[in-house]
Amino acid sequence: MNTTAIHTVDLTGIGSVEVTVADYGSGQPFLLLHGGAGPQSVTGFAEQFAAAHDVRVLVPTHPGFGGTPRPEALNSIGGLAALYNALLSQFGLQDVTVIGNSIGGWITAEIALLKSPRVSGIVLIDAVGIEVPGHPVADFFSLTMDQVFQLSFHNPGPFRIDPATLPPAAQAIAAGNRAAISVYAGTAMADPTLVDRLGSLEIPTLVLWGSSDRIVDADYGRAYAAAIPMARFQLLPDTGHSPQLETPDQVIHAIWDSADTDFSAFAH
Amino acid sequence: MSRTAVTRITHSCHLIEIGGRTFLTDPWFSTRPGYYQGEPIALSVADLPRLDGVLISHEHYDHCDLETFASYRDQSVPLFVAETVVEAAPGTRCSSPNSARFLSGSATSPSPSCPPTACTSAPQGNMQVVMDADEAAELTAILKPELAIPHHYAFTKGFLGDRLITHSDKDPLHYQDAARDLAPETHVRIIEPGTRIEL
Repeated sequence: MNTTAIHTVDLTGIGSVEVTVADYGSGQPFLLLHGGAGPQSVTGFAEQFAAAHDVRVLVPTHPGFGGTPRPEALNSIGGLAALYNALLSQFGLQDVTVIGNSIGGWITAEIALLKSPRVSGIVLIDAVGIEVPGHPVADFFSLTMDQVFQLSFHNPGPFRIDPATLPPAAQAIAAGNRAAISVYAGTAMADPTLVDRLGSLEIPTLVLWGSSDRIVDADYGRAYAAAIPMARFQLLPDTGHSPQLETPDQVIHAIWDSADTDFSAFAH
Repeated sequence: MSRTAVTRITHSCHLIEIGGRTFLTDPWFSTRPGYYQGEPIALSVADLPRLDGVLISHEHYDHCDLETFASYRDQSVPLFVAETVVEAAPGTRCSSPNSARFLSGSATSPSPSCPPTACTSAPQGNMQVVMDADEAAELTAILKPELAIPHHYAFTKGFLGDRLITHSDKDPLHYQDAARDLAPETHVRIIEPGTRIEL
């Protein structure tokens, strides 16, 4: 069973921010951050994870996505990281694992850099945010939606939608999501300072990567893991840029049973 | 005649009263991502008694939290540290590895310089760097103490860190059982933080 509520967070320098948070299950706490594909790209996974294990999964909608309001001053990945750091304090949670996909992974990395003792581990799933020479992030804004689906999924068939056939309300939300991506992540989808800053992290980190991801390729993922001193890298077969959407079972297994994984097999 | 006593504070942080003097071991009074005591911290820095010295076994944060200990009221308390602590903390005012002292205000610099290494494992691979229960019992059989008090077993790196790195079962009874077999003359006592044992 899950509940959804709007929480108000007072953020220094930005002011009062309203954020919609869906709350699944109870037990070991996780904060799950969606990417540019919006909250519906992670909510199915949250529900499945909470059904399979004693976990509580919080899924915020980044302000501006899903038709929610975004304060003008909340306009960066760092701002979202500060928002969720404050939200975890407001909830009084301890030993939180933050999981983020794509842009959500970038936010996760910035949350880790805030070094709150409440956050004990991070899972980056096909994250963007760093610059890797020779391995650019696909230029989302110059692609057609059909190309985006083609690059994002191992098997795009079941996920492909024609935006032109969506009802007007859904088209408005999609346009809002697109605008929010541009505000938070820019067109480069990367912060040139991030990769060096990651070197200061001491947090246990799991980097999961879909082997068929062509938005950000596996070598980009290996570079992400290499930039974080404690990170373990694991390649997930037969899945693309959003493994939690395309193959949720293997993502749950990769996180829950990570103690049994021989990471040396995935490093090279 | 002065008493000999041990008070558990948390993890490897203890007060040892011996020969009329009081020493603090391996100060650890704060938490940060991936480093949690897993048990209460029985005394804060402000609650510490008058100390004659601080003994620091190695430079890892969970044994060498000088950043928090820097608020201790006696800024001239001697630190007796392993050489690695001095090496890991260039710019500290430790005068020599064997009789290091920190000067007022300087103790905030060492802790961030400590390498990002877990006490139970190196960051690369699965190399074990802390004795397991059986190995600790083997050492007990060699040292033959009258009393052994296990510590450092409650430590947690959190949900993910315990899966990826520490692989600890957090159970001191394994040591007690192993010591019963290998070092039957040693009495093993498992005590909670805040407990003082007089010898």
